[in-house]
Amino acid sequence: MIVEEPAQVEQEIRLQLRKSATELSKWKLHKSSKWSAEALWGMAELPPSSPTSSNAAGSAGTGGYDRSTEAPQERSCGSFADLSEQEYDLYLLASTLFDCKEFDRCAFFLKNVTNPCLKFLKLYSEYLSWDRKSRGNMEDVLTTGKPPKHMIRGGSHTGETDTTHVPQNAFPESASRDEQQTDSSAIMKELSSYLEELKTKEKNSGLGVSLLYYLKGVLLKQDDNKSEATSCFLRSLSGYSFNWTCWVELLDCLSRSDESLLLMKHMEERFKLEETENIGSQGTIENNIMMKFFRLALFQEFSGDVDIFIEELHFLHTIFPNFTYLKAQNALTNYNYMDYMNAENLFDQIIKSDPYRLDDLDTYSNILYVMQKHFKLAYLAQFTSHVDKFRPETCCAIANYYSARQEHEKSIMYFRRALTLNKNCTNAWTLMGHEFVELRNSHAAIECYRRAVDMNTKDFKAWYGLGQAYEVLDMHLYSLYYFQKACTLKPLDKRMWQALASCYAKVGNRQEAIKCYERALQLSVNVDQNSVLFYRLAELCEQVHDIVNCRKFMIQCVDVEDATEGIVTDETAKARLWLAKYEAKRKNYEQAYNYAVGVSHGTSQEIEEARSIARECRQRIQ
Amino acid sequence: MSSAGTPTQHNSTLAISPFVTGRSSTRTNASHSQRQQAPGQHRQFEGNDQHGGQDWNTEGMARSPVFQGIANSPLVQKTNPNITTNSLATPHHRNAGNNGSSLLASISKSGLFGSTMPSTLRKVSLQREYRNPTVNIDKESSGVEQPATTTTLMTTTTSATNGSGEFDIGELSSIERLRLWRHDALMQHLYSTAEFVANKIYSLTGDPNDAFWLAQVYYGRGSYVRAIELLTKDMLESVSIMCRYLLALCLIKLQRYDEALDIVGESNPFSEDADQDAKKQNDGGIKLESSLCFLRGKIYAAQNSFTKAKECFKEALLVDVKNFEAFEELTAKNLLTPREEWDLLEALELDFSVLDDNENLIKDLYTLRLSKYLNGEKGSHARKELIREHNLESNVDVMRFDVETFHTQCKFSQCLDLCEVILERDEYNSSILPIYISCLCELGEKNKLFLLSHKLAENVPKSPITWFSVATYYMVVDKIGEARKYFSKSSILDSSFAPAWLGFAHTYAIEGEHEQAISAYSTAARFFPGIHLPNLFLGMQYMALNTLSLAEEYFTLSYDICPQDPLLLNEMGVMYFKRNDLQKAKKFLKRALEAVEELDPTSKTSVSIQMNLAHAYRRLGENERAIKCFKSVLKVSNKSSDTYCSLGFLYLKTKQLQKAIDHFHTALALRPSNSAAQELLLHALELNVSMTLDADHPLMVNAQIQESSSNLFQNSKKRAPVAFDMVGLPKKMKIPGQIPQPSNDGEAMEVE
Repeated sequence: MIVEEPAQVEQEIRLQLRKSATELSKWKLHKSSKWSAEALWGMAELPPSSPTSSNAAGSAGTGGYDRSTEAPQERSCGSFADLSEQEYDLYLLASTLFDCKEFDRCAFFLKNVTNPCLKFLKLYSEYLSWDRKSRGNMEDVLTTGKPPKHMIRGGSHTGETDTTHVPQNAFPESASRDEQQTDSSAIMKELSSYLEELKTKEKNSGLGVSLLYYLKGVLLKQDDNKSEATSCFLRSLSGYSFNWTCWVELLDCLSRSDESLLLMKHMEERFKLEETENIGSQGTIENNIMMKFFRLALFQEFSGDVDIFIEELHFLHTIFPNFTYLKAQNALTNYNYMDYMNAENLFDQIIKSDPYRLDDLDTYSNILYVMQKHFKLAYLAQFTSHVDKFRPETCCAIANYYSARQEHEKSIMYFRRALTLNKNCTNAWTLMGHEFVELRNSHAAIECYRRAVDMNTKDFKAWYGLGQAYEVLDMHLYSLYYFQKACTLKPLDKRMWQALASCYAKVGNRQEAIKCYERALQLSVNVDQNSVLFYRLAELCEQVHDIVNCRKFMIQCVDVEDATEGIVTDETAKARLWLAKYEAKRKNYEQAYNYAVGVSHGTSQEIEEARSIARECRQRIQ
Repeated sequence: MSSAGTPTQHNSTLAISPFVTGRSSTRTNASHSQRQQAPGQHRQFEGNDQHGGQDWNTEGMARSPVFQGIANSPLVQKTNPNITTNSLATPHHRNAGNNGSSLLASISKSGLFGSTMPSTLRKVSLQREYRNPTVNIDKESSGVEQPATTTTLMTTTTSATNGSGEFDIGELSSIERLRLWRHDALMQHLYSTAEFVANKIYSLTGDPNDAFWLAQVYYGRGSYVRAIELLTKDMLESVSIMCRYLLALCLIKLQRYDEALDIVGESNPFSEDADQDAKKQNDGGIKLESSLCFLRGKIYAAQNSFTKAKECFKEALLVDVKNFEAFEELTAKNLLTPREEWDLLEALELDFSVLDDNENLIKDLYTLRLSKYLNGEKGSHARKELIREHNLESNVDVMRFDVETFHTQCKFSQCLDLCEVILERDEYNSSILPIYISCLCELGEKNKLFLLSHKLAENVPKSPITWFSVATYYMVVDKIGEARKYFSKSSILDSSFAPAWLGFAHTYAIEGEHEQAISAYSTAARFFPGIHLPNLFLGMQYMALNTLSLAEEYFTLSYDICPQDPLLLNEMGVMYFKRNDLQKAKKFLKRALEAVEELDPTSKTSVSIQMNLAHAYRRLGENERAIKCFKSVLKVSNKSSDTYCSLGFLYLKTKQLQKAIDHFHTALALRPSNSAAQELLLHALELNVSMTLDADHPLMVNAQIQESSSNLFQNSKKRAPVAFDMVGLPKKMKIPGQIPQPSNDGEAMEVE
């Protein structure tokens, strides 16, 4: 029995994934369903002896999956067991309408349904219809550059003088403000009241309810109400954990790494999975496979304990050896840790094993761009556009390609196209911002970055970009704030602290600048870059008349040369010159001479100066 | 019959209707005929209604066997479900029972069908008339023929068996036959016939009652002047109170109000000599005294003396509670304040007892009409009663109560849905349409408003509602000039149509022309003493002009009328806020918030109240509360730049710099021209720079947290990412079990 344990667990996972793939596609959550199916397919092949083992598992009372007998039955009734005949007919109609993308019609026919699943389908199609309509406006924005209406949601309150006049018969402002806004809140209202009703009826579980909570979470998230959205997603997941998009949405609700810690703690302590929808081992948080996937994704986004990550990754790999998603996650993690080589390798593998999977390939193109493998980038762009021209990932890859060829206008055009296809593609916004920076259009760049952070506050690149753009515009107060933001997101990244420090220096707050540089120094990995840091530190110390420290840093700066086998940089040269001057002043002519002689790099003026010091020192010594 | 006598003010016109006179004559002529009682009181007009020389024998009633007689009696109707359902199936003919002329109306009906229909069909149509026994029949029966009802039960058997229910038209005098002819013609709106006959009758008899009927014919065809001439000629108005009433009515129609007032007298001439006995006298119709009072009220209203009008209408109601018209004038035309409305029903104790077993029904129905600002639970109780006892769930008045309740509670979308249900049945219901239009406007349903306006303009071009709807449409599409034109058109068509007046004033208010707006609102305030809105708007206008003392005065006026309206409380709060009387402002805003508690929290009203309350808290320095308020506003409302700005300011005050800056940024993103936010942001950013990066700085705190969370740092700061790589690599080697040489592959490509 003990030997059989892992096999049984695997069997249960298989069963759950199979179930979720069919159920979710029935209720039109195609992405989740796709994920489940992919995961199912990516699992290790069944050992040849599986029939007997599954029988054994079945006899063990866990309801093992018996292909021959149970399968057809399950497929025919499946999740429709609770639908009456009439409801089932209605479902068929609604389902086809949904598939034909006639969402309004679908919602209309489902007007009076009471079954939670059908209710979900109704509200979901209403939501999609609204979403599609509001996307039309978004396209205008992209072409005209005017701010999108749904971002600037109305707003007619005039502060203190707010007087809501003309209540009875006339309210001119309310006229046509934005119908889509009212639409989504109408959906929200109906959803909430329906859920309330279910709560009072104590029918508070099952697939339908979970899906409804999921939808509520999506709506809340859209309204920027992240905390409530999170609790909705958790509620949904506790009822039905095999809905991957729900996990993804949950992940999206987190904006800071400490929040992720809190969430994990909360889940460990209080999160319960309902047993009705989770078979056997999948009913506990420790063993639930989706939970493991979630933790993995969490790590990829927010980083954390590496050892645990690797352990989990390893564990999942044994169960899902052929699951592309896992490989992609691994690649993305490597990318986040700036380990581009490995990331590239992993992506190569992914393309080999699953060539038509375009997800995450935009990141791959980023990697190739950063690694300056232009030929490979060109190939990727060609390849993806061959697969599907109208995918945001494709457009991003092409845009990256054009950017690499210094054709920034074209690149921007393709980023725009990507955004038209998927307005929530934050990467595209950020990258478009970078392109505008290349074109020296800081204002446009700022606009892009802002969009990016509006949509995804976790995007430290966008925050950093904002800081840089404002720095170019000489608005250091602003850029400082944005660097702070970026730094909050990536407190372990040297570059952030460095940017922060230089910004502090520019606004004249030298003390903090010094602190930031020190911090950056602590975090730096590559010694060859430290010379800059040391030199800046030294400069700042000089400015605050802290000559002792200044000298210390200057010496450290010069020492970098030794550590990097004598590579001379501007900073080391300058540091030498400073030291030479300093020692000369203090009448340590020998040392001064040594430093001065070492200056062989820099502007002619500096070299000249160094020579004169050397000459003078030599005279003095003699 | 000719000696039937003129009714007094305590009677209704029933006294001289042919049916009643006919009855009395039959009583005299064939007083012992069992037939009279047999078919039940309600059927009796049948017996009397022998127009066109129709042979009575062919009529179903008389020939009907016993059980039919019983079945047709209202008492049985009540208990026999089959018949009741059958009768309920007819949707029309509801209003017949609402006033004294119902019997006449039913006469006309049977008159219309009786001659042409086979008896079986006729029976059906007769049964249909019972469709609402509790409303129609009982009212009549209890009022008119109470004794007959009792006899019916006892005598049915005998009466039916001996079949002596025949009523020979020949027994009537020739004059009476002419009268019947006249009456039927009148009921069928064949005015020339009626005039022809009535004229002859009057010439023959000279009876003031016949003169009245002749005048009635004139009135019906709209020749008011002739009616007046006829009625004044022989001093009829002094002889017959009926005639006086009709005369006044005609004069009002011709808008000769002063003369009309002369006719009806400036005050109720009967109020003193009203002896109790006479008051008790009750024939089921509406007392003429009441009607006269009502007319007086109408005249006063037309002459713009609203207090007098109000008194008159009240008097009309007190004299006879059945005078619904007076009740409607009082409630729907905004003559009474909400409190007064309820007082009318409760404190004045309208005498519903005259209605006998309909007492509760009518009382509940009246209750539904009262102001929704007060006593909500009483209203809903009445509604429940009506639904439970009388099954009136889908009755228009019950639904209207719901509609109005929703509207007062600002639940516009529900209100809209319900309105649409009602309008589906009765597309041009003039009591629902204004509310419906207002809902459409509130929800910005331009398209529906457009369609509705066109429909109305096509079908009822003379109704003020039509032009109100058109004007509202123009207002919604922001064509204020046009809107004003049509609002004024609407108010010209009916000067007592409050929404149009207010809309008219609003057009000025929207354009910021305060002076005109103020004059328009004050006119409205004069015209509609019962609603607080004109005063409220006046106050708002003065507030916009920064004349706060005047604003306060008007608000107080408005507050006296309706202290429950959250909008008013909100405005008062804002006013005190502006006057820097923050404690008072807080008090009023809190009350406003309480008033909207049961409303939908996302409605505009409650959002702005919360918003104002938050500002009050802010000014009072209660930062935490203010933040809480603002946050809840943000949760439910549209994102507004100013809200974010205020929230940012509060965060700045409470030294939460990061949050403050974030909020200022959001505020600016929403409205880049928000100069307050800009200034504050700059200030915050400067503060941000000067903040020292010590251990308490959020940046440091965050870094600490992250460090402790990832053990990267505990091991070795510098090697951390490297360490990851080292572990990661073998990992990857494990993964691609199938593809063993991935790294080579990549490198190979690189070499190329």
